[in-house]
Amino acid sequence: MDVGSPLGGPATSGIADALKGALPGGTGKASQEQRRVTLILGGVLLTLGLRRVSFGGAALALAGGALLYRELSRQSGQAGAETHMAEVTRSITIGKSAAELYRFWREGGHLPRVMGHFAEITETDMDQAHWTVRVPGGRSLSWDTRVVESRPGELVSWQSLPGTELPNRGEVHFRPAPGDRGTEVTLRLHFQPPGGTLGAAAARALNGLVPSLLVGDALRRFKSLVETGEIPTLDRNPSARASTA
Amino acid sequence: MRALCWEGVNDLRVQTVPDPEIVNPHDVILRITMSTTCGSDLHFIDGYVPSMLPGDVIGHEFMGVVEDAGSEVKKVKKGDRVVVPSFVACGDCWYCQHDLYSLCDNTNPNAEVQAPLLGYPTGACFGYTHAFGGYAGSHAQYMRVPHADVGCFQVPEGLRDEQVLFLSDAAPTGYMGADFCDIQPGDIVAVWGCGGVGLMAQQSALLLGAERVIAIDRFPERLKMARDHIGSETINYAETPDVLAILHEMTGGRGPDACIDAVGMEAHGTGPGYLYDKAMQTLRLVTDRGQALRQAIMAVRKGGTLSVLGVYGVMDKFPIGVIMNKGLTVRSAQQHGQHYLPRLLEHAVKGELDPSYLATHRFSLEDGPRAYQMFKNKEDGLVRAVFTP
Repeated sequence: MDVGSPLGGPATSGIADALKGALPGGTGKASQEQRRVTLILGGVLLTLGLRRVSFGGAALALAGGALLYRELSRQSGQAGAETHMAEVTRSITIGKSAAELYRFWREGGHLPRVMGHFAEITETDMDQAHWTVRVPGGRSLSWDTRVVESRPGELVSWQSLPGTELPNRGEVHFRPAPGDRGTEVTLRLHFQPPGGTLGAAAARALNGLVPSLLVGDALRRFKSLVETGEIPTLDRNPSARASTA
Repeated sequence: MRALCWEGVNDLRVQTVPDPEIVNPHDVILRITMSTTCGSDLHFIDGYVPSMLPGDVIGHEFMGVVEDAGSEVKKVKKGDRVVVPSFVACGDCWYCQHDLYSLCDNTNPNAEVQAPLLGYPTGACFGYTHAFGGYAGSHAQYMRVPHADVGCFQVPEGLRDEQVLFLSDAAPTGYMGADFCDIQPGDIVAVWGCGGVGLMAQQSALLLGAERVIAIDRFPERLKMARDHIGSETINYAETPDVLAILHEMTGGRGPDACIDAVGMEAHGTGPGYLYDKAMQTLRLVTDRGQALRQAIMAVRKGGTLSVLGVYGVMDKFPIGVIMNKGLTVRSAQQHGQHYLPRLLEHAVKGELDPSYLATHRFSLEDGPRAYQMFKNKEDGLVRAVFTP
């Protein structure tokens, strides 16, 4: 496995298992369930994090703590009612021109690799793509996106087509950087309030934990691919861990 | 293949692990011919530096022979005998193009996880923690080297492995530390630490034109090495009450023009300051024992340079007021080895630099755990343990 993924390493299965147990089986008071799931997830992360005296552990504990804090600081009556949209914006500077980067993003066929750390993407044509994301609990969500705006050398924006449990949209901006520094690239991902309990749990999990790392990783992967022709990876990294055999 | 793995704090084991493979087009697979211990390994072996995972293959100072090369590797080829810096650099990003190789933007697969620690992430280091990339290290029979055209340097004919091995890490780190001092004619440079990096910093300061070099350590055999192999003047701080006063007198009351810290977070020392550091570190309230660094800051002349090579984490009691009031220049980095290796190989060919005396002890890879035990405790005058897998 790629231990470089944000929640990689031994903790991943623990979180997945915890979620599997925590995910509600049927219908019911959805908002209560969502709150419970978030609280459990936050607690599990905090506990796992604090138990592992390591850097990854500290990161987990922080993430878990933040999730707990957010959930507990809500008025209990409003739990789940106010489902904030998750929106994450991150920027990176890449040593190529805006025109080159635009072409790379739009026409290069590289998106499946750039986003490969969290989604499987199949590009059906230049404007449409099919996304599949694995969420904790061994399930997956998928949706189709369509490019809704694209201005050469400036931006590309896309959004999911109706009918997904996790409606979302995204955009990437290109802006020349000063001096010889290339282009400032900004990626924004936006997940809308979900329908259904699974979608809710997934969105909450995304909202509280993953998106900032996920978007940051996507940008770094894009930058490395464009600047060096490859993405750094720990794939098939020799170690005495069972998972890399 | 066989490899020396970190299994937990103070728990190293030699195990059988999968062979490395070419994964990316700029990778090579190296058959390791020599690999050595480095003081910075001790930080995670002792558990002061986090983000190791059980089973990680360690080791980051090495040389070898190219066994296999990826499709985009142009400059090195199968059969080449090469030495490789410990930090992985892409050669293409802004930092690499400005000779700041250890700050590479494109080689750390865990950059997003490291960034919150430092503000912005560094490049990756072989055989080190997952915050620094998590790549498998060199205490193994084979290893994968990404961006091989940037990292692999051909060894000129006529140089023995022992002469070249330390050009992977100790020599470029020490040379960089001396280079940071912007040495002018007449300059006196003081170096804290006579391990591999400290000795290389002393020798580099002389190569770069220092008038005199003063070395500070507590092990008589290391101080003797500094005198015999380099010509440094030495101070044994364990035997003298006041290092600052001695430095003051040795430099006509001016102080050294530049001070190099080649010690880092697990510095030893004497007196109440050291006891305080040790207590705080034992309680895990700080990661560092900063006595050597604080002493170097106090010792350096007004307007002088402090060059920090020692590995540090988060330190309290950092005397910024001394730095500010004395108008010091502080420079520091993990080694930019790719920048210095061509120069160092030239010095080696001309006979001006021969670090082979650092290789005080040889071990087989299977003896790895015992070698690290001896290295850590500096038993039997061991300066560097060298593995020949």
